[in-house]
Amino acid sequence: MMRILVVEDDSATSDLLRDALVARSHRVTIAKNGSEAIQLADDAMFDIGILDCMLPDIGGIDVLREIRRRDVGFPVIMLTALGAINDRVAGLEAGADDYLVKPFAIEELQARLSALYRRPPLESKPTHFLIGDIEIDMLSRQVRVGSKRVHLQPREFDLLAVLAENAGRTVTRSMFLEQVWTIRYDPRTNIVDSHISRLRTKLKSAGSSEPIETIQGVGYRLRHRD
Amino acid sequence: MTNLLRSAAYRLSFFYTAACAIAILALGSGVYFAAQAAFQQQQDEDLSAEMRVLKREFKEGGRNDVIDAMTRRQASPNNRFLYALFDGDRRVAGSLTARRQPVGFSNFTFEDPEEGPDKARGLLMPLDRHDSLLVAIDTESLEALDRTILFLFTGAFSLVLLLGLIGATLLGRHLKRRLDRISETAGAIAAGDLSRRIVHSDRDDEFDRVDNALNAMLDRIVILLENLQQVSGDVAHDLRTPLARLRARIEAALAGPADPVRLREALESAMQQSDDLLGLFNAILRITEIEAGASRSAFQSLNLGELIGIACEMHAPSVEDSGRSLTWHAPADIRIFGDKELIMQAVSNLLDNAVHHTPENTRIEVGLVSADDRVSVSVCDNGPGVPDADLTRVVRRFVRLDRARVTDGHGLGLNLVAAIMQMHGGKLVLSDNGPGLSAELQFPLHRLS
Repeated sequence: MMRILVVEDDSATSDLLRDALVARSHRVTIAKNGSEAIQLADDAMFDIGILDCMLPDIGGIDVLREIRRRDVGFPVIMLTALGAINDRVAGLEAGADDYLVKPFAIEELQARLSALYRRPPLESKPTHFLIGDIEIDMLSRQVRVGSKRVHLQPREFDLLAVLAENAGRTVTRSMFLEQVWTIRYDPRTNIVDSHISRLRTKLKSAGSSEPIETIQGVGYRLRHRD
Repeated sequence: MTNLLRSAAYRLSFFYTAACAIAILALGSGVYFAAQAAFQQQQDEDLSAEMRVLKREFKEGGRNDVIDAMTRRQASPNNRFLYALFDGDRRVAGSLTARRQPVGFSNFTFEDPEEGPDKARGLLMPLDRHDSLLVAIDTESLEALDRTILFLFTGAFSLVLLLGLIGATLLGRHLKRRLDRISETAGAIAAGDLSRRIVHSDRDDEFDRVDNALNAMLDRIVILLENLQQVSGDVAHDLRTPLARLRARIEAALAGPADPVRLREALESAMQQSDDLLGLFNAILRITEIEAGASRSAFQSLNLGELIGIACEMHAPSVEDSGRSLTWHAPADIRIFGDKELIMQAVSNLLDNAVHHTPENTRIEVGLVSADDRVSVSVCDNGPGVPDADLTRVVRRFVRLDRARVTDGHGLGLNLVAAIMQMHGGKLVLSDNGPGLSAELQFPLHRLS
């Protein structure tokens, strides 16, 4: 459960967002404009903010700047319109943690919200993962299944690292493209699936119980066993 | 005149002329008054000197000696002084027919035997209790000099004024004509004639440069407008079909029995179709964004070889999974100036095309070469290729060859690549690979850093 502040003036969109997020058992507060958003961010506690770029009074980017100026630390996802590339750049510069281009799939938003919510601070990023039977050393970039070393291509290692950092949560295809190849366009081919399938094959042939799950139509998840 | 003054060009020229005239006027009067003062001072000194000589004569020999001296000096050919000796108010000697003046320097009128009344400057000093001596200089020569100075300056002033006014009028007319050309063109364009351009000369002066800059701007605006029109047209044409199809499916689903499984399938298919439509919108907006040059701020020096390597490595597994092969050769030392993500996307699109429009077992090869004046990235396949007649057509928006209608995609891939290349000052060249298609991204060398 996350406490989410949604800043969106279009009531159709905000209703849709609220319903979808509440259905995923989050607590949602909606601000209809920029000044309301700044007030709420100041007064109440939130885990995460979803901020539309186009607001009737104060622009989303200025709202973000103001929130950050007041030392409000929760992560913020900006929602930008198609074609407004300048908004994306300005949003990230103003302190947004991620952005999504409208329209987007709710699954995509949910995956990004979880990733941001659980994201550890940079300094406490783990350098070593043991997930199921897979052991990952981030510094030497080595992967072992049991005692057996798995030889991965650099990109395959990156994919596994992204999965490990988000273990238990879904990572969408576009999140993989962003974090492994730093691209934000849609290459329209099943690039991620092909790479994942190679990664799976290598893990499997090393004797792993193959903990990568496919989330149909969304992405992949590394099964978490605590 | 008010009309003329309303024109900035004329006003500027007129004010400039007026400023010149005022400067000449100030200089003229300055010279005039300074000369006058200098001449008068000289005259006064001369008069004092003459007076001293005659006073000495009086002291030595009395009235008679002074009269002798006066007569003698009057007769000398170089003499320019006039004298009068007064006993009380009565003139007793000297050729100067004038009344007694107050003591000291004075300006007065005397009777010239040849010319009648004439102006003079004189110095009167008492010699003893009765007698006083008046020494004077005819000021006619000074007046003549004054007149000359006045005449010259009046002449110069009028000439400056006249030339200035003529010049101002000509300059004003010239400026007005050139500015009128610009505003006339702007007016015609505002009225809807987008083909109008400002006529300019080959002199390459400031105006020509402004004209050229404005014309270039107009060209750009026209291109953007045409793009906009084309996009609106394309959107109208190409979105109607899938939207109509989507609607028909929903209608059919609603008309049939309310079987949840069937309805769910219909909904899933509708969602898939709306996703495709959104993808199409995305692609159109992306192209428009690139064509508008909005994101050139992301340009940087890039290692093109490395970038091609990353792109190919990214695509290789999915190309292989599709039953085709991908090989690449990209020397790592070739750098260009550009947008990393857009170049990646261009390569992605070409690879995507090569996979989607070829049969299985097709070989796809990516190469990178640098020639004298350009750097080329080539994506070649040995598939069925594109007929020569269609090579230029496929780059256009929404053009899909009949063969491609059976595969997915919206006919924007190559158009996007072309837009990316144009933004980089390069171009997309398609040619026959004999067999297959060769798509080449040509970056000009002057963009190299």
